Amino acid sequence: MTALRPLPEAGERLPPLEIGPFDAAALIRYAQVSGDDNPLHLDDALAARIGFPAPPVHGMKLLAAFEPMLRAWRGDLVVAQLGGTFVQPVLRGDKVTLTGRVLRASPEEGVFVRLYAHGSSRAPAIMADATLRQPSSGGNG
Amino acid sequence: MTAGPAAAPLAETPRDPAPIAMRVAVDARRAADFAREIGADPHTVSLAYPALWLTEPAVRAAVTRICEEADAVPVHEAQRFAYDKPLAIGAVYDLVVTLRREAKPPRLVLEASLTTPEGAPVGRCETVLRIVPRAGLPKGGA
Repeated sequence: MTALRPLPEAGERLPPLEIGPFDAAALIRYAQVSGDDNPLHLDDALAARIGFPAPPVHGMKLLAAFEPMLRAWRGDLVVAQLGGTFVQPVLRGDKVTLTGRVLRASPEEGVFVRLYAHGSSRAPAIMADATLRQPSSGGNG
Repeated sequence: MTAGPAAAPLAETPRDPAPIAMRVAVDARRAADFAREIGADPHTVSLAYPALWLTEPAVRAAVTRICEEADAVPVHEAQRFAYDKPLAIGAVYDLVVTLRREAKPPRLVLEASLTTPEGAPVGRCETVLRIVPRAGLPKGGA
């Protein structure tokens, strides 16, 4: 029987993860796989008419990328909740940096992590959070 | 599961559509393809996998109809997933999607609950779409 790793402490920072840049082929592929074929993400002319210099990357693709980051950090815990707000678009061709920090942790309530995705601008593209729990207390493993 | 402060119901708009119920399954190939696209292990089922079910024709049609009635386009504003138990490849679930309009600011909120066919809770997800009037978009916008 393996002893459980101690929970992280509040304030611990997750190793940052850089993803992208995503090119047009990557966005087409994501649209095909996910079913989210909103032309805004795929059509340069449409994006330009909205005021974007390039099509924005699907927000869901970026939000979902927090999960492998969390698993790489603490694979002994399961991610029970993940959610976020799409603050501003990440444009095709941008690199994205995912960061996170533990805000609180307890055996009863799990580990609450604040997450950010930053594109090329200073303001975050996504403000997110996740709750991780020890396997015996449920969640998506 | 919440996504920011509650907004007032849109009383003057048409009634919200009836909930959409579907039996869904985690397809191994789609799960692996989706996992690869988000940089995850293709042998696992992503937390975000239910997003694929929310693009099913019945849900898309309801969203499209509401947006067309408002002469507006949907902009994905927020998303949340919460689980009681993990999704499993090949497993079958019952998904019920409720669509709710909010007025200030105009939003469409999709609340989805996921249970086993026996009724045991599995998870929930919430999609918040900002409803942006076409009139407010730059000339020639979406």
